[in-house]
Amino acid sequence: MSDHLFVGKSIPRTIEADKVTGKAVYIDDMKRPGMLYGKILYSRYAHARIKSIDTSRAKKLAGVRAVLTGRDIPDARVGFLKDQTVLKKDVVRQFRDEVAAVAAISPEIAAEAVDLIEVEYEELPAVFDPFEAMKEEAPLVHEVDARGRPVKSNMLPLPWKFEAGDIEQGRKDSAFVVTDNVSTTWVNQCCMGTSGCIAEFDTSNNLTLYNQTNVIFGHIGRITEYFSQIGLKGKKIRVVNAIVGGSFGTKLDTDIYEFISIQLALKTRKPVKILFDREEEFQALPPRQPAVFTIEQGCDRDGRLTFRKCEAILDNGAYTSWGATTPSVMIMPMSSLYRVPNVFFKATCVYTNNIYCQAMRGYGNPQATFAVETSMDTLAEAAGIDPLEFRMINRNHPGDETPMRLKITSCGFEECINAVKEKLKWDEKKGKQKGRGLGMASLIHVAGGARVTRSDGHGMVVKVDEYGHVDVIESGTDQGQGSPTVITQIVAEALGVRPEDVFLTFGDTALALWDAGTHASRHTFMAGNAAVRACAKAKKQILDMAVEHMAKIIKGGFKRKKRKDPDFVEPDLDYGLIADPENLDIRDRMVFPKKDPDHPYFRIPVSQVLREGLLGSGESKVVVAEAFYDPPTEMLDREFKGNLSQTYAFGASGVEVEVDEKTGEVKILNLVAAHDVGKAMNPTLLLGQIYGAAYTGVGYGLTEEIKVVNGRVMNPSFRDYQMLTAMDVVPIEPVIVEPMDEDGPYGAKGVGEPGLVPTAPAIANAVYDAIGVRITDLPITPEKVLAALKEKG
Amino acid sequence: MIEYDYKKPESLEEVFGLLKEYGPRAALIAGGTDVMVNIRNTKKAPEVLISLRGLKDLRYIKKNNGYHIGALTTHRMLELSELVKTELSALYDGASCIGSVQVRNVATIGGNICNAAPSADTAGPLLVLDARVVLEGPEGRRSVPIYEFFTGTYKTVRKQDEVLVEFQIPAEMEHFGSAYWKYSRRKAMNLPILGVSVSLKLDNETISDARIGLTVAAPTPVRAYKAEEFLKERQLTDDVLKEAGKIAASPDCCSPRDSLRGEAWYRREIIEVYVARMARIAAENIKNR
Repeated sequence: MSDHLFVGKSIPRTIEADKVTGKAVYIDDMKRPGMLYGKILYSRYAHARIKSIDTSRAKKLAGVRAVLTGRDIPDARVGFLKDQTVLKKDVVRQFRDEVAAVAAISPEIAAEAVDLIEVEYEELPAVFDPFEAMKEEAPLVHEVDARGRPVKSNMLPLPWKFEAGDIEQGRKDSAFVVTDNVSTTWVNQCCMGTSGCIAEFDTSNNLTLYNQTNVIFGHIGRITEYFSQIGLKGKKIRVVNAIVGGSFGTKLDTDIYEFISIQLALKTRKPVKILFDREEEFQALPPRQPAVFTIEQGCDRDGRLTFRKCEAILDNGAYTSWGATTPSVMIMPMSSLYRVPNVFFKATCVYTNNIYCQAMRGYGNPQATFAVETSMDTLAEAAGIDPLEFRMINRNHPGDETPMRLKITSCGFEECINAVKEKLKWDEKKGKQKGRGLGMASLIHVAGGARVTRSDGHGMVVKVDEYGHVDVIESGTDQGQGSPTVITQIVAEALGVRPEDVFLTFGDTALALWDAGTHASRHTFMAGNAAVRACAKAKKQILDMAVEHMAKIIKGGFKRKKRKDPDFVEPDLDYGLIADPENLDIRDRMVFPKKDPDHPYFRIPVSQVLREGLLGSGESKVVVAEAFYDPPTEMLDREFKGNLSQTYAFGASGVEVEVDEKTGEVKILNLVAAHDVGKAMNPTLLLGQIYGAAYTGVGYGLTEEIKVVNGRVMNPSFRDYQMLTAMDVVPIEPVIVEPMDEDGPYGAKGVGEPGLVPTAPAIANAVYDAIGVRITDLPITPEKVLAALKEKG
Repeated sequence: MIEYDYKKPESLEEVFGLLKEYGPRAALIAGGTDVMVNIRNTKKAPEVLISLRGLKDLRYIKKNNGYHIGALTTHRMLELSELVKTELSALYDGASCIGSVQVRNVATIGGNICNAAPSADTAGPLLVLDARVVLEGPEGRRSVPIYEFFTGTYKTVRKQDEVLVEFQIPAEMEHFGSAYWKYSRRKAMNLPILGVSVSLKLDNETISDARIGLTVAAPTPVRAYKAEEFLKERQLTDDVLKEAGKIAASPDCCSPRDSLRGEAWYRREIIEVYVARMARIAAENIKNR
C-alpha cells in the first residue's frame, strides 16, 4: 500500500487558491438578476403577546417591495418538533423571534424599513433557567403543542433515556464511587461566512435555493414538507450551495431566515437574498447546546469501571432544532467511552425563553465528554490510581462491542494514551502542583458515518472526457474542511490520473446523487468509499476501451513511422498482453500491461485511449460511472442501541498548564493531541483539522461563552465574544496514529470533529493537577479559578 | 441609509473654518476606528465628518526639551519607535496592544484620548507619564494636564471648536521607568478588562517618585494618588508593592463596576496584583535604558 502516488501525500489544497485570491463565490458575493434584499425584524421581548403590528410606514418607504408579518403568510409550522411558525403572529417566546420581514432593492433600504415597523407588545412572564422552568408554577413557554393540544409542562416529550446492564449491581461491585456536577454553556460556531441564502422561483413556482448548507438533500425534505403546507405541493426544489464559508454544524437545519426568504420571493416574484450581519449571527443563529450533568461513576479495587449513571438537563430555549437531539450523540461517550458494563443516561430538554440551539462540531459529544472525563479524574483520585493509568485500564479495545452495541474495529486508543504519556513526560511532571499541572481526556466519535437517517449513503458520479479530465459530481459540500483536495487525491489515485486532472462540482441537488450530508465527520469516509467504487467502474470502462483500441493505436503509430522511415520494421509484439482488461492498469495518466508496466510499446497515455474510444468509432462512447456507498450499519433502536457507524475514532488530549494563583489565569504550555485517524489521507490537511479543532476546544475550555442575560445575547460581536485569535495560539503537538481501517477508503477514518472533544476536560483536569481546584463549569475563566482558590483558602 | 458628508482639510485653519461653519453638526475623525464603529452601532452620523488625515505634520514623535507626540501619530508609529519603547515604556505597552496591526496602522493616539473611553489603552500610560494635552482653537493654543482632560465617560474638556494637536511629556520623565498592563482574555482584538500603569523613579532602592494609572476602574481613566503617596520614599520591596496594590484597589483610588467583561471584585483583585507587578517592570525598565 505504500506505493500510492497521491493518497497519504501532503499535496497542496486544490481550490483554495480561488478562496485566498477572492475569486471563489460565497453567498455574500452571489447576485441574481432583479434580486431583492430581505431583512428580518426580531422581537424586543423574551416573552410577549403581539398586540399590533403597523407596517404602513415601512411599506411607504421608497424601494421597499414587500413587508410581511405572520398575518400575511400561511400559519405553517416548521422545525424538528414543529413548534414554531416562520413569522410569529401572536406570541414571541425569545428575543430572536422573527416578527416581520422586508424585501427591498438594497440592504440599506431593507434595514431602514425594518426600523419603521411598529410593534406593540404586552410583556408576559418569562423563564430563563431550565430548573425553574421545570417547576410546576413556571410560566409555560408553549401553551399548546404542534397539534394544538394543551401542554402541561416545559419539559419536552423527547425519549432520551439509555439503559444497559444493571446500575445497582454496578454499585455493589464498586469499591469507589464518585458523583460530580458539571455544566457547559452556549458557544457560537463562529463561521467566517455568516448565514445567508437566495430564494428564487420560476414562473411555475419551482424553487431554486442558493444557500449555505452541509446537508443539501435534507433541505429538500424540509422545504417539501413546508411547501405541502403552503399550497406548493409537488413543486421542484433545487438546492445549490455556493462554497460554504464554514459550517461547524450551523448549516445542518433549515433555518427560519431561509423560509422567510422563500416567502419574500413568493410575494415579490423576485429572487430574495437574506444575509446575516455578525450581530445577527450571534443573536439569531442557534449555537451549541448547553447542558448540566450529574454524573456518578464507580470502579472496583483494580480500577475497572463498574457503572456510570448520568442525568442531564438541557436548556432547550424557546423552540426545537437539532440541539434537542444532541443527547442521542451524548449516549455514545456516556455508554462507550471506556469499557463500562452498566450504564444509565437520561437527558431532559426544557423549554425556556432563551435562545434555542442546534448542532456544533462534536454534536453533544464535547459536553458529555466533559462530564465523563471530569468524573474519570475524580474517580481515579478516589481510587488512588494515576488518572492516565486509570484510563489505560479502562480503554476500549479492537473487537469490543460496547453497551450501546457499537462494534469497535480499528482502535488506536492505547497508542493515543501512550503518546500523551510520553510527550507530556507524564510520570515525571504529574502531581507536582505549585501552579503547574498535567491533565488528560479522551474521546470516542463516529468515524465511519452515522446512520441518523434511514440511508447513510453517499452518491458520486465520475465522468471522464477525451482529454483525460475527470469531472466528479460530489453530493457533499465544501465548507473549508479540505474535502475537495482529499477527494481529488482519492480519485486521482483510484482512476490513475493526476490531481490536476480532477475537477469537483459540489452542492447541487439537480446534479448530485443523494447524500446524507457533510456532517458527523463522515465525508472523507463516505465520499472516499463512493469515489473508490465509482472510479473502479470508470476505470473498467476505460480499460475496456483500451482493449478495443490500444492495438489499433499502436499499429497506427507503426504505420505512420513506416511512412516517414521506409526502413522501419514493425516489431513482433504479443498483443495478447493487452487483450484483456484484467491485465491492464492505469497509473499517472498512462495505460500499461500489469505484467510489464514499462513495456516499450504498450505503455500509452490514457488520453489517447479516451480520444479514440470517445470520439472514434466503436462501441464505448462514454466513460461515466456512479457509485452509492451506504455502509452496513444500523439505525439506533428504541433503546438507542445499534452500530450506527462503520468505524469509530479514538483519541486523547494531554495538556500542561500554568495557573497564576494570584489572578486565576490559565496558560497552556503544551497540548498533545493524539488521534487515531485510520490513515492520514493528506497529513497537512489532517493537521489543520487537528489544530483547528484543538484551538476551538481551548476556546470552549477557557474563553468562549455567549452571555445570555434574561434571554438576551449580551455579547453579539467578536469584540465581546472571546473567540481566540491567531495571536493566542498555544503550542500543539499532534500525534497521528494510523491503525489502517479496513472499511475506510485507503484505510481512512473521519476526523473532523474529534480534536475538539477532549480538549476542554483535559484543561480542567490539568488545572486541578496544578492548583488542587476543580472547575466544573465551562469556560474556566480566571474569575472562577480565583474564586475557587479563595474558597479553598 | 446612514449618510454624511466628508471633508478632508489640509490645514488647521481650514479645520477651524469647517468647525465654525458646521458647529455641532460636524465631528472630527482621525483614524476612524472609534468614530466609524459608533456610526455603525448607533446608525447615526453627524452631518459632516471632518477628517484630520490631511494634517500630515501632526504625525511625529520628538524628544526636544521633553517629549512631543503629534496627535495624529498612529499607534503603530508609537509601537515601532525605539525612543518610545525605551524611554516611555508604558506608552509602548499601551500602543502596541490596541486591536491588531491593521487597527494600529490607522488609529491615532489623539483619537484614542479624545474618544475618552474608560478603557483607552494609551490613557493610563499618558497619566503616569505626566502628559499634557495641547489643544488648539481659533483663539490659539492651551495645554491641560491629562488628569484634568477627562471629565466623564466619553467626555473631555475639549471645546467643540478645538483640535487636540499634541501630547507633551516633561523631560523629567526621562528618569522614570514605566509599564502598562492590559488585562484581557486574549492577545489581540480586545478591550481591556482592566489596565494598570505604573511609573516610578528610583534613588538606589528607594522609590523617590511614583505614578499609578488605572483604566476601566472608574468612569474615566484615573490616577491612584493615595497609593502613589504611599510608595514615595519607601523601599522597592514586595511588601511595599503589595500594600500599594491594596491601596490602589481600595475605594479610595478606584470604583470598578460589574460589567459584561468583568466583575468588580475581580477587577480589584487584578489591580492589587498588577500594581505590584507593573512597579517591578517599571523599575526594570529604568535599568534597561
